[in-house]
Amino acid sequence: MFKKFDEKESISGVLQLKSSVQKSIRSKILDSYPHLENYLDVILPKKDAFKIVKCHDHIEILINSAGEQQFFRQREGQWMPTLKLLHKYPFFLPMQQVDKGAIRFVLSGANIMCPGLTSPGAQMTEVQKDTIVAIMAEGKDHALAIGKTTLSTEDIAKINKGIGVENCHYLNDGLWQMKPVK
Amino acid sequence: MAEVNRLKIGPKEGVNYPIQVTYCGNCTMPIEYCEYYPDYDKCKQWLEKHLPTEFEKVKIGDNETPTGEEEKKRQKRGGKGIIKTKKKEEGPKQVCVSRAPRGKKKSVTVVTGLSTFDIDLKVAAKFFGQRFACGSSVTGDDEIVIQGDVKDDLFDVIPDKWPEIDEDLIEDLGDQKR
Repeated sequence: MFKKFDEKESISGVLQLKSSVQKSIRSKILDSYPHLENYLDVILPKKDAFKIVKCHDHIEILINSAGEQQFFRQREGQWMPTLKLLHKYPFFLPMQQVDKGAIRFVLSGANIMCPGLTSPGAQMTEVQKDTIVAIMAEGKDHALAIGKTTLSTEDIAKINKGIGVENCHYLNDGLWQMKPVK
Repeated sequence: MAEVNRLKIGPKEGVNYPIQVTYCGNCTMPIEYCEYYPDYDKCKQWLEKHLPTEFEKVKIGDNETPTGEEEKKRQKRGGKGIIKTKKKEEGPKQVCVSRAPRGKKKSVTVVTGLSTFDIDLKVAAKFFGQRFACGSSVTGDDEIVIQGDVKDDLFDVIPDKWPEIDEDLIEDLGDQKR
């Protein structure tokens, strides 16, 4: 999603949000990530005025008042955390672990293929289709990508071919490189 | 099994959130991923300089993994799996200041080249405006216009505000036509 993203060219505008919209976003995020409940006040303080950065390809990025990117989404999709945020609170997404061989491909933006999730070095936690997941790697502590499953984990194990998780955001992509927005 | 617990969802006990992750200054990724960056050598240099303790750990880890054969196999694959390094434009780092006339007896000061030092131009313009009590604006890709002739002051103010810019790096272009 952010492979060709460029801070200067892809941003079309920054919007201040109405408090009612802020509220609805907060509740939406809480709905999709119930584990965040105790921490959401730290991430998105109630009194904080957060903004939305509108970008090309119908991407919207939620930033806090300091300008740090927190969540993003495409069209009316689910809000996904940025990797910087996920590194701080790694627990609220279901994690999938890929084997060592896959790391470099994921880091260059490839989707995660089923065999990379089923081989001995990999591990899966059970999730449904179209879930936002964190991609971890064998032998590493931190997440290296955020993706959306295109198959349920059951199917991934059964079919074991083709794309299992769609790569939405990975280390060193356009969103990762983005500097805080003023 | 520790491995299974690792992927469990939900906050872990005994861990304080937010977790602070150390990022590499060269590739911006968490340092454990540095080895997958094409410019790994530079990352190592950076680590050695800024986080010597972490560097030692990486070194030890390096010796443990059997390189040699595995490394050779990897190199053969090439192609898609290689992350491309972003090319940073390494132009000459220099700030140029000049004076341009404005009307008959007034002039403005033009500052260019600040962005080569990774300085936010908007912030810089605001700072100049406050400092000299005058108008100051970002007018181009890498250009700030300060209203009034403050060229001589700039030679003191710029190194003062941004220590990485030495006075010798600021060049005086003299008077220029608009």
